[in-house]
Amino acid sequence: MSLAESLRLTVSRTQTRLKEDLVGPKGIIAAFGILLALAAPFVLREFQLSVTLQILIFILAVSSWNLLAGYFGMFSFTHAALYGVGAYATVISAAEFGIPPLVALAIGGLVAGLFSLPITIPALRLSGSYLAMVTLAFAEIIHLAVITFRDVTNGPTGYTGFAPMFGGDRVTFYYFVLVLVFVLLIVQYALLVSRFGLIARAIREAEDAAQMLGNDTYRHKLVGFFIGSALAGVAGGLQAYNILIISPPMLELNQMIQFMAMSIIGGLGTFSGAILGVIAVVGVAELLRGVIEQRLLIWGLLLMLIILFFPDGIAGSTTQRDILKQQFDGFTDLFGDTKERDK
Amino acid sequence: MVDLLLVLQQIFNGILFGGQLALVAVGLTLIWGVTRILNFAHGAMFMMGGYAGFLTFELTGNALLALPGAVLVVFVLGMVTEFGVVRRLRDRDNAEFAAIIGTFGLAVVLENIIRGSPLGSTRRTLPTIVPGVWEVGPFFFVAEQVYLFVVALVALGLLFAIIKYTRLGMAMRAVAQDQNTAKLMGVRSDRIYAITFGISAALAGLAGALLAPIFNIYPSVGWQPFLLAFIVVIIGGLGSVRGTLIAALLIGVLRSVSLTFTSSQQTSMLLFLAMIVILIVKPTGIGGVIDG
Repeated sequence: MSLAESLRLTVSRTQTRLKEDLVGPKGIIAAFGILLALAAPFVLREFQLSVTLQILIFILAVSSWNLLAGYFGMFSFTHAALYGVGAYATVISAAEFGIPPLVALAIGGLVAGLFSLPITIPALRLSGSYLAMVTLAFAEIIHLAVITFRDVTNGPTGYTGFAPMFGGDRVTFYYFVLVLVFVLLIVQYALLVSRFGLIARAIREAEDAAQMLGNDTYRHKLVGFFIGSALAGVAGGLQAYNILIISPPMLELNQMIQFMAMSIIGGLGTFSGAILGVIAVVGVAELLRGVIEQRLLIWGLLLMLIILFFPDGIAGSTTQRDILKQQFDGFTDLFGDTKERDK
Repeated sequence: MVDLLLVLQQIFNGILFGGQLALVAVGLTLIWGVTRILNFAHGAMFMMGGYAGFLTFELTGNALLALPGAVLVVFVLGMVTEFGVVRRLRDRDNAEFAAIIGTFGLAVVLENIIRGSPLGSTRRTLPTIVPGVWEVGPFFFVAEQVYLFVVALVALGLLFAIIKYTRLGMAMRAVAQDQNTAKLMGVRSDRIYAITFGISAALAGLAGALLAPIFNIYPSVGWQPFLLAFIVVIIGGLGSVRGTLIAALLIGVLRSVSLTFTSSQQTSMLLFLAMIVILIVKPTGIGGVIDG
C-alpha cells in the first residue's frame, strides 16, 4: 500500500468512525444530556445551577485544551494563563471602556488568541518536553505581568463589583452559556472531523510524515493553537461573569492542574472525554466538598493513577485508539526505517 | 550613575546564589541526559529535602546532621519515584508526555500530603551553621551563603568524580549515549535509571535542606527553585552538566543584579524572557548536547 493510499484510508475510516459517534448511541446520550441541561433551571436550586454553570464553562476550557494537547499533541501549560487573559480582557473592556458584555466576550477570546501568538511562533518549533517547559515559562510570565502591571489589571486585588450580564438574571445567563458552549463544541467537533482535524492527528502521531505528505504543519499548529487559546479566553470571560470576580489566582498553575486533570481523567484526545472528565471531576469535587479539604491532593492522585493504570481515561475506548494507531503505524514505520538507515 | 561597588557586590552575591542554584539544576539535567525524561517532581524533591532535614534536626538536635538526613531520605524517594512511577511510563509510545503528567501528579500529591500533615501547618526553618557577616575590603559576605556555596561545590565535585571515574558513572554515560548498546554490553539499565533518579533527587533534597535557614520550608517552596532550574537547564543545554553549571552562575548573577534595580516579579520575567530568547537563538544552549 502506498503512503498516499494509506493516508486516504485513514481519512475515510476516521471520518466514518466520527460520524458513527455522532449518530450512534453516543449521539443519543448526548441528545438526552442536552434535554437535561435545558431543563436544569426548572429543577435545580440556585447553588446546583451555579455548579452546572461551572461544569459548562470548564467543558469549554478543557475541550479547547484537549484540542491542543489531545489532537495536535501540543502539550501546552499556558492554557490557564490564557483563560485568565480572556477573563481580564473581557472584564476590562466591559468595565473600563463600556463595551457591551457580549462584544467584550468576543474581545476576550480574540485577545487570548493574540496572546498565544508570541508564545507559539517560537515555541512551535519545539516539541514534547521543550514545548512544555517554554509554555510553562510563558504562563509564569503572564501571571507575573498581571500582578505587576497594576494600572491595567488592578494587581493582586483584581476586579470585582462589575456589572453582571443580563442585569443579573441567572437563568438567562445560564441559557446563554449553555447555547454558547454548545455552539462552540459543535464548531470544535466540525473542525476535528474536517481535513484540519485529521492533519492535527497526523501531526500528533508523526509530524515528519505529515510534513512530507505536503502539509504545512507549522501553519496548522499555529492556527490550532490560536483557536484553542481563543476558546480558552471565551471560557475565561464566561467564568468572570459567572463568579463576578477575577484576580491573579485564575492564571495560576493550580488552575492548569485542574484543567489537565479533567482532560486526562476524561480521556485525552477524545471529544467526549473532555466533557465526561469535567462532569466527573467537578461532580466528585462537589460531593467531596466539606468531606475532604485536600482537593488538590485528590486531583494529583487521580492524575498519577489514571496515567499509570488507565492512560486512555474514561472515554478512551482502546479499540478506537488501536484502530487509529494501526493506521498511523503503517506510515510511521516507513519513515522510522529510513531514519535507521540514514544512521 | 550606577554604583559600581553595589553592582560588584551583587555579582558576588549572584555567584554564591548560582552555586546553590546549580545544585538543583544539575539534578534536572542529569535525569534528562540519562533517561530523556523531564522530572516535574524535582521541586517537590527540593521541598521534601527541606522537611527531611528539618525532621532530622528535630530528632537529633544537630543541624549538621540535617544534610545527610535529607540526602538519604530524598535519595530513596527518588529511587521509589523511578520504580513506582517513571518505570511504568518509560516504554510507552508517549513516554515523554506520560512522564510529565505522572511526575507532575506526584509533585502535587507530595506537596498536599505535607500541607495536610501537621508538618505543613507553619513555616519551618533550620538554624544557621555559620552565623555572621564577613567584611572583605568594601564588600560584605553573609557567612552562611559562603558556606552553602562551598557545600554545593563539594557535592557537585563529588558528582563529577562519580560520573567521570567510577564504573557507575561510566554505566550512566553509556546508557545516556545508547541504551540498547549499553544493555548489550551488560549494563543493567533499569538499575542505572533508578540510581540516576536517586542521585538527582538527592541533589535537590540537599539543596532544600541547605537553603532552609535562608528561605524557610513550606509545602510549595519547591516550585520557585524548580522554575529557576528550568531556566538554567535550558540556557545551559539540556543534558549538559558543565553547561548547566556555567548557566547557573550566569543566572545567579543576572538575578542578583536585576533584583537590585527592579522588583522580584520583573526579575523573574526577565529571566524567563532570557530563556525564551536562548531557546529561539540557540535551542541547544551553552552545553549544546541535546538531540531532541
